[in-house]
Amino acid sequence: MKKITRVLSLALALMLALCAVGFAESLNLAELPLTTEEGAAVSILAMNSWYSTVDLSDATLLNEIASRAGVTINWNLIDPTVYSDSVSPMLAAGQDLPDILQMPDLDLNMDYLSSGMLEPLDTHFDIMPNYVAFLEKYPNIKAMLTAVDGHIYYVPQTVVTNNYQPVMMLNMPWLEKLGLEAPTTLDDFVAYLRAIKDADMNGNGEADEVPMSVMSAFLPYMFGPAFGLDLVSGFYADDEGVVHYAAYEKEAYKAYLTFLHGLYEEGLLETEFTSLNRDQITARCANDQTGATYDYSWQMSTLYSAQYPNYDGTVGIIAGAAPLSGEHAGFYVGRNPVSSVFGINAKANNIELAVKFLDYAMSEEAQDLYVWGMEGLTYEVDADGNRHYLPRCTEDTIWYQGLGINAPNMPSQQSTPATDVLLADWHVQNDRTFEEPYIRAPFPTVYSTPDEAAVSSMYMVDIDTYVNERAVAFISGYADIEAEFDSYIATLESMQIGELLKVRQAQYDRYLASLK
Amino acid sequence: MNRRANEAGSTVVYMARHPLRKKFVRDWRLLLMFLPVLIYYLVFCYLPMVGIVMGFEDFRMGSGFAGLFTSKWVGLQWFKQFFSSVFAWRLIRNTFLLSFYSLIFGFPIPIIFAIAITQLRAKRFGKVAQVITYLPYFISTVVVVGMMTNFLSPSSGIINQMIVRMGGKAVNFMSDPHWFRRLYVISGSWQTFGFNSIIFVAAIMGIDPELYEAMNVDGASRWQKIIHLVLPMISETIILLLIMTLGNLLNVGFEKVYLMYSPAVYETGDVISTYVYRQGIENHSYGYASAVGLFYSAVGFVFVVTSNWLSRRMTGSSLW
Repeated sequence: MKKITRVLSLALALMLALCAVGFAESLNLAELPLTTEEGAAVSILAMNSWYSTVDLSDATLLNEIASRAGVTINWNLIDPTVYSDSVSPMLAAGQDLPDILQMPDLDLNMDYLSSGMLEPLDTHFDIMPNYVAFLEKYPNIKAMLTAVDGHIYYVPQTVVTNNYQPVMMLNMPWLEKLGLEAPTTLDDFVAYLRAIKDADMNGNGEADEVPMSVMSAFLPYMFGPAFGLDLVSGFYADDEGVVHYAAYEKEAYKAYLTFLHGLYEEGLLETEFTSLNRDQITARCANDQTGATYDYSWQMSTLYSAQYPNYDGTVGIIAGAAPLSGEHAGFYVGRNPVSSVFGINAKANNIELAVKFLDYAMSEEAQDLYVWGMEGLTYEVDADGNRHYLPRCTEDTIWYQGLGINAPNMPSQQSTPATDVLLADWHVQNDRTFEEPYIRAPFPTVYSTPDEAAVSSMYMVDIDTYVNERAVAFISGYADIEAEFDSYIATLESMQIGELLKVRQAQYDRYLASLK
Repeated sequence: MNRRANEAGSTVVYMARHPLRKKFVRDWRLLLMFLPVLIYYLVFCYLPMVGIVMGFEDFRMGSGFAGLFTSKWVGLQWFKQFFSSVFAWRLIRNTFLLSFYSLIFGFPIPIIFAIAITQLRAKRFGKVAQVITYLPYFISTVVVVGMMTNFLSPSSGIINQMIVRMGGKAVNFMSDPHWFRRLYVISGSWQTFGFNSIIFVAAIMGIDPELYEAMNVDGASRWQKIIHLVLPMISETIILLLIMTLGNLLNVGFEKVYLMYSPAVYETGDVISTYVYRQGIENHSYGYASAVGLFYSAVGFVFVVTSNWLSRRMTGSSLW
C-alpha cells in the first residue's frame, strides 16, 4: 500500500495545493500576539510545497501568521515526495528536533506517541481554545485522534472526504461518435473498449488509440467495487459489521483477477500498465488517443480536458461517469478526513509557546489566510461584500503557491464549497451527479493497541508485498490464476492474515463503539 | 616468494630491536598520512557497529543513541521472525544468485578483454577501444537504469521495435521476473568491464619483453604465448582481485536493484538490502531491519574468510 499511497499523494497534493478551506468569518479565540517576548521563535519540521520550484520558507502568508502571533518561525522544510523516508530516521534518532513536528504518517501503530517524544496536547487544552472548538465541531475526528491511552497528541490537517476523489473518466466525444451511452456495467465498458480498439476514433488514419489509460494504482479503485471489493482500503466491513481483507476474498478476488487478466490478454489493458504515469496519459489526451482513464477528479477539467484544443471550459471532454457495476453495485471509495498530523516535541524549549502557536495556526483566522490570502494581494471584495480572487492567482501559479496558499506545512483544512469556486461549473455538476452519490466511506483509521501494533508491523508489510507482486503476476499471466490461486490463498494464511483480520475486527468494533 | 620471506624476516628483527615509541618518532609522517583513513574507518565503519545491538531489542522511537541502551531487549525474536517469513529463503537465494551470476559472467570478461587489447597490432585502435569501453563506468546508476527502461520499453523501446520488425513479439523486459537477473548482470558487465580491465592491462604490460622474445625464438604461436606466458604472469593479480570480489560477493548494488525492481519482479529481484530498506526505513521496524542486516553481514564475513583461506591453500597467496 505504501507505494500506492505515494503515487496517489502527488495527485492529492495538487488538489490540496489548490483546494481551499472554509468560508467562515475570521475568527480567532486566542489572544494576539501570543507572546510579548522579544525574539520569540518556534521551529517547525514540515513538508515543503508540492511544486518543486516553490520554497515556502519565506512565504508571505505564513510570515503574516507568524507576525500576528508575534513569533519568528524557523522552518525545516523537506521535499514532500521523500518526506516519510527522510523524516522517519530523524524522529527515530530523536536528537535536536524542532518544536513542532509534522509526522511522516498518521502514527496509527502509535510508534511515536507511545515513545514519550511527543507532548500530550489535552494537558494544554486550557491554552488551545481554537483546537478545542474544532474538536467539538468534529466528534468523528476527535474519536480518531484519541489515542488508546486516552490522550490527544496531534493536531490534524484535513481534506475533503466525499467529493473530488478518484473517479472514472470517459472520452465524451468518442461515446457520442459511437452512439453509446456512458457504460455503467463491466460488460458495457468492455464493449466500449472493444469498439475503440477496432475503430480509428481520432480519424488520423493510424491505429494509435489506447482504449483505456489507467495507472496500476487505480485499477483496484476502478474494478474492485463491481466485485464487491474495497481493495483501496484493503480491509473493509460488510453490512453485518464483519471485517474482510479484499485480496483474501476467495471467490470475488479471483473473479477480479480473472477479469483483469482477460483485459490484458485482449490488449485492452496495455502491456506496460505497471509503469504508466500521469504524463503519458496527459500526452495521450493531447493527441486524442484514449477512451477512458481513472484519476483524482481534480485532473478532469484542469489537466485532461484542458489538453484538447476544442475545450472551451463549458463542456467536459474527458468527464466523470458513474462507477462500474458487476455482480455488485459499483461505488467510489472516499477518504478519511485526516491527511496529516502535527505534534509537539516533548523536549521543546518553550512548549507553551509551541502549543499556542499550533493552536493559532489552526484558528479560523489562520484558515482564512490559507484559503483566501490577503485583501489586495490575492482577492478583492466587491460591492456586495463577496470576495473574488485576483487574476494573478490563476495566471501565475508559482507566485500564488509561493505565498503559502493552502500551506501543506500547516494544519490547514479543505472544504468542498471552497474547492467548487476553483473549478469549472460543469466539473462541479459532474462531481455532484456522478461522484458524491456513489461515495462509500473507507475503512476507518483507528489507533492500534501495543499488541495490535506488534501484529500489524510484523505481518502487514510482508502481506502487502506479497499481494502486490502476485496481483501483477496474475494479471499479466506470469502466474496462472487457475493453477496458483489456491496456493496464493494458502500462503496468505501462512502469513497470518487470520491474526490481522482479528486485529482489524477488534479495531472496527472499537471505532463503532466510540461513535455511539 | 623467497625474497618476500626475507623481507618479512628482516622486519621482524627490526621490530624486536626498536621499541614502539621510537617507531612513532621515525614514521610520524607516514602515520599522519594514514590518520584520515583511520578516522574514516572508525567513524563510518566501526562506530555504526554499535547499532547492531538494535537487532536484539525493540527499539524505542525518538530515543536515539541512548535508546540503544534503554530499549527493551527481545533476544533473537527478530531473527526467528525473519527465518519464519515466507520471503527469507527467496531473499537469500536472490541475493546470492545475483552476486554469483555477476561474478561468473562479470569477472572473466575484463581479463579476456585485457589480453585481446594487448595482443592487438594496431596500438592506436587498442587505445581508442580502451577509452570507449571504460567510459560507461562513469555513468551514474540512475542514468544507466533510465537508459535501460527507455531502450527496453515494450512499446517505444528500440530493442522491442527491432524484435517486432523481425516478426517477434514485444517482451516486457523490465517487469518480467525471468529477465531481471540477466538485465542486471549484462548491464553491470557492460558498465564495468572496460574499467576493470585497466589493472589487467597494466599487469600484462609489466611482463618482461625478453620473455616474449624467448618464446618467439622457440617458435611459440600467439595462442601458446597467451596460455603459457601471459596467464601465468598475471595469475597473481587475478587471484588477488578474485578474493576481493568474493569478499564483496554479497554486496549487490542496493541502488541499482532498488532502481530496477518493482513488485512485478520481486520474485527474482528482491534482495536482502532492499528488504531491509523497506522494513527499516519505510516500515520503521528498525530492530527487525538491523537483525536481517546483521545476518547478511555475517554471511558476507564467512565468504571473505573462506575465500581467503581457499586462496591461501590453493595458490599460496592471500590477503592476510
